[in-house]
Amino acid sequence: MKNLSMLLSLFLSLFVCVSCDSKEDEEPQLPLEAEMVVDLAAPNDIIDRTSGQVVEEKPFQFYSFSENKLMTEGEDWDVAFKGTTIRTNRDKNVRAALVNGIFQEIKEVPETATFTMDTDEDLAIPTGSGNGWYSYNSSTHAIKPIPGKVILLQTSSGNYAKVEILSYYKGSPSDEELDPFTDVGATYTFQFVLQPNGTTTFE
Amino acid sequence: MFRINLIKLNLGIFFFLFTMVAHGKEGGKVIVDNHGNPLPQAVVQVDRLPPIVAGPSGEVSMDRMVSGDSVLVFALGHESKRFGWADWVMSDVIVLKEKVGELNEVVVSATRTDRTVEDLPMPVSVIGKKAIQETGGIRLSEVLSEQTGLQIVSNHGTGLQMQGLDTDYILILLDGEPLIGRTAGTFDLNRISVSNIERIEILKGPASAIYGSEAMAGVVNIITKSGGQGKKVDIGLRQRSFNTWNPYLDFGIRKKKWNVDVLYDYYGTDGYDLTPEVVGNTQNPYQSHSAQVKFGANLGSGWNFNVFMRGYTDRATGVLEVEESSGQELLDVENKRNEININPTLRYKPNNDWLITLRNMSTVFSTASDSRYRKEGNLFDSQDFKQLFRRTELQTDYQVNQKQLITLGLGFSGETVEATRYDDRNHFDATYFYLQHQWDASDKINIVSGVRGDFHSVYGSRLSPKLSGQYKFSDTFSWQLSIGSGFKAPDFRQLLLNFNNASAGYHVFGSRLANEALERLEDKGLVAKRLIQPENLGALKAEHSWAINTGFRWKPTDLVLVQVNAFRNALQNMIETAPIAQLVSGQNAFSYFNISRVITQGLDIDLHYKYNENLSFSAGYAFLDTRDLDVVAQIENGEIFKRNASNQTVRVTSADYGGLFNRSAHSGNFKVNYLEKHTGINWALRVLYRGEFGFSDLNGNLILDDKTEFAPAWFNVNLTTTKSFTNGILLEAGINNLLNTTNLYQPNMPGRLLFVGVKIPLLNL
Repeated sequence: MKNLSMLLSLFLSLFVCVSCDSKEDEEPQLPLEAEMVVDLAAPNDIIDRTSGQVVEEKPFQFYSFSENKLMTEGEDWDVAFKGTTIRTNRDKNVRAALVNGIFQEIKEVPETATFTMDTDEDLAIPTGSGNGWYSYNSSTHAIKPIPGKVILLQTSSGNYAKVEILSYYKGSPSDEELDPFTDVGATYTFQFVLQPNGTTTFE
Repeated sequence: MFRINLIKLNLGIFFFLFTMVAHGKEGGKVIVDNHGNPLPQAVVQVDRLPPIVAGPSGEVSMDRMVSGDSVLVFALGHESKRFGWADWVMSDVIVLKEKVGELNEVVVSATRTDRTVEDLPMPVSVIGKKAIQETGGIRLSEVLSEQTGLQIVSNHGTGLQMQGLDTDYILILLDGEPLIGRTAGTFDLNRISVSNIERIEILKGPASAIYGSEAMAGVVNIITKSGGQGKKVDIGLRQRSFNTWNPYLDFGIRKKKWNVDVLYDYYGTDGYDLTPEVVGNTQNPYQSHSAQVKFGANLGSGWNFNVFMRGYTDRATGVLEVEESSGQELLDVENKRNEININPTLRYKPNNDWLITLRNMSTVFSTASDSRYRKEGNLFDSQDFKQLFRRTELQTDYQVNQKQLITLGLGFSGETVEATRYDDRNHFDATYFYLQHQWDASDKINIVSGVRGDFHSVYGSRLSPKLSGQYKFSDTFSWQLSIGSGFKAPDFRQLLLNFNNASAGYHVFGSRLANEALERLEDKGLVAKRLIQPENLGALKAEHSWAINTGFRWKPTDLVLVQVNAFRNALQNMIETAPIAQLVSGQNAFSYFNISRVITQGLDIDLHYKYNENLSFSAGYAFLDTRDLDVVAQIENGEIFKRNASNQTVRVTSADYGGLFNRSAHSGNFKVNYLEKHTGINWALRVLYRGEFGFSDLNGNLILDDKTEFAPAWFNVNLTTTKSFTNGILLEAGINNLLNTTNLYQPNMPGRLLFVGVKIPLLNL
């Protein structure tokens, strides 16, 4: 497998170079690059496991893709993280859709994608294992981003972004390394591509 | 030549009819086995005339024998021999060789009539008394773990896996009557002691028309001992590592008109812990008592009465750690199980051709679990479960002629369950019938066909047709083929569960009450969104399958036996949970649905080789391939993804897919049996292998598709020595798991285990 993926990446890099060459004659356009956000801590409320009551409430972590940094609740944030919950900023008309696919292969917003906004009842990015971006394994107790789930967003400034959550644990431990009991959870690592020109393409 | 007979009750009459023929001395011949011992049960048949049974010393008189072209001599458990008339007249002593392997074993499970393995067109195997003894096992799971194609799996108890199907799909019978009491589908094999097991019959696939729900992967029938001649009082004691003690008492009286067998068995162990770093044992300490009484009476004029009674109770204690807001808290856990079976049977045999059997079974199974905080002693959780099952069945066997036997069964069952997690007292009724036709179409072909019909008060009715056939190419090679449909009724949990995990905030509802329960949640304003419309809730159908089994039995020489069976099970409507509503808490409510389609297929190969009287070898290999057809379709459509080593998302390919969890593609065993002549010690060495198997999804896509998701393969070496003295005393000593193999994902394997045991037949001393 390893050899195969090496070959594959070699092949892909060749392909990328070829496409670079062919585009050189056209007007110079900087290709969009994926930004990586590493270990964004968004601890969940502390809940009494027997009663289900919240013992200590924790704040959401508000994030802006155009600023590529944490914001305060009053600013123009796009999404907010706490535990496994991801809210979108409905005051700024941020809309989101979940699609299946490989992050790099999603070159534009598909016409079939249905964007929704957070409401009192429903979040645009649903919570619950298997509903949205993650699955919870009841035998290992691990929370894993579901591979192939890509979040599409229309940000507070009206631009489109695609987001892929890569890890829920600090340091992005591999499947073998991960110990859900000792590793620090609610710590997001994700990549995103923001198209700042208002179009629906990501190239 | 096949033999179908209402044998057990027939035999006496058989003897009576032919005694006078067999008793004359002049011109007599003697039939013996290869040790020179007479074979009183041998039968001689000239051409197609009525057979003649040998006398008590294996003698057969020529007096009334009409001459013919050829003579066939056969005896149960021995190779038959055919003579021309001239040769027959010339021979005075006829030697029949003992059969190698288990082909001579009688099986009742497959057809509910006594037939030898050799005569059955279905894949059956028998674990005899000797093989059970040689495993040194105390609980049933230990004996079954050494059989080709069977795996022991741990999931809410020690369960069995057969033909790639889990324990939910295997019917467990004790003396022919079903055992109930499953936890999350698992029948815990540790509830069964082996101290009084005579033999275990294993029928693979849904080939038999006799059984209904659960007999989808197959049937395991545990036959307990019945006293031989006269009286017996056996006491035994087995002691092994982990402070495990197993004393038992086995008592039996057999008179002409009646017989009684009584067993008491105690089992106590300290348990073991494979993960010392985590609070709580892998196997908690537990103690169990089982008592069993069998009574039989011959009431005369063809009437027989039997009753089987069994009581079982166990208690396990352990410690759990839970996380509270105040920090880690220890819980003391106590689990108790009780079981009572009462099964009376009345048989009437008016003549040679008819047998009428009326069976009744009543069984109660209950569990109680209780966990309390160690500090204050306050109750943390308490769960009760009680299941009552009654069944009455009338079976009629009619021997149409020597070649055909028809069996018709009609039955009615009622089942009640009460549990903490179920709403009310719940009652189900079911009626069923089975019709079976056994037909020896020719000397080479025999066919067993049948149909089972089930009519249930909740999930509707099912008809399951079955057909099996065997073709004997020669005395040494026969081919079997069976096709059948099997099913599994939705269990109580799937129909009735009302479970709320308060800490995680989710609900699980049985299909019958899902809609009602959701409405209640809606009234409280707890439902954010229904995911499934009410009209699509509640109709849970039985899971069902089509299965094909085919293989051969081949005896290339008298000392070698090869058995092969290939199988394919196609399962539909398999029941799984799926979310039915999103709750305002962000969690889901779940219920059960007929969702998935699964294929399991594979090959079991068994090879026996008897080198000489004292040394024999056997080897077994099982190949297994399982897949969820919906997952396969999703992979083909490129809809399932995984992350590679550098955390990039890639598509899962068909080659990545490892099938169902907890299945080994390869497994096998190798056994050597050696009787050392000078000391009389019997050595049994067994090597068991289980290939790698998936244990859990780790990469988040919920399917088995990555190397890290496989548990490593393991080898297990077991050695048992036994010595029996002429007065019947039996000593045993051995080591199970010589290599001290442990596997985190195989929690039923405690590591190296030493054992000693003794059995004393008090009346023989």
